[in-house]
Amino acid sequence: MYNLSGGIKAWEGQVAEGPVELNMDMVRGDETPVEVIRLAYGMEHSLGEFYKAAKSTAGDTEVAGLLATLSDVENKHKAYLIELGKSIDPLGTSAEKLETEVASTTLEGGFDSAEFLQRNEKFMKSIPDLLDLSMMVETQALDLYVRFAGKIENDQAKQVLYKIADEEKGHLAALGELRNARA
Amino acid sequence: MFETLKKLFTPAQALEPSEVRDFLDKHKTGTYTLLDVRQPSEYKREHIPGATLIPLPQLGDAFDQLNPEKPVIVY
Repeated sequence: MYNLSGGIKAWEGQVAEGPVELNMDMVRGDETPVEVIRLAYGMEHSLGEFYKAAKSTAGDTEVAGLLATLSDVENKHKAYLIELGKSIDPLGTSAEKLETEVASTTLEGGFDSAEFLQRNEKFMKSIPDLLDLSMMVETQALDLYVRFAGKIENDQAKQVLYKIADEEKGHLAALGELRNARA
Repeated sequence: MFETLKKLFTPAQALEPSEVRDFLDKHKTGTYTLLDVRQPSEYKREHIPGATLIPLPQLGDAFDQLNPEKPVIVY
């Protein structure tokens, strides 16, 4: 057993916010691994769409470039989920199937994409602000995936969520390095 | 059950925040438990992503939620 010295007040990494129940209505608890992949795919898709929409209104070319990169990363996450889905259900999973099933407007971190874009327009004006926003969303996503795993009963579905959470960890680390370079 | 309680209440080794970050970076999600023992209002305000909330007064009753085979980092 380990104890974080100084508690959360001493923590210098990213923090998530919101109650334990936040967005937990998105899962029933008895999802299969493929259903979990479908859910995560929808969320990644929504975030990618948000970045694309934000890019179309960005006045700054550097910001637009970063938004394009962030959108590409979400496409990579989707590609990862397709491969993961194929490894579990080779005949039932395909990019086409997942794309047609995507109807979610909920961003990866559990936000409504249109409302989120409107609320966070001010973060689209500079690279550091955009990186901060992206890190916030990815942090919420990481937190949400782990909370989902706590509710879901199927062990293979849990492991899918843990794998996706690890992808988010990697993404966050990369964003953190970009952000530190801009400090 | 006794072994579980024994593991859970063994004095914790203190880790600096940088050491906890290293631990979280190096270990796959799901192979450890990050445990928040504060109150729900404190968790709601901010928490380390992926933390499981079990307020300290409830820890004794909820110990079966923790897997004694997984390392626990508590704050």
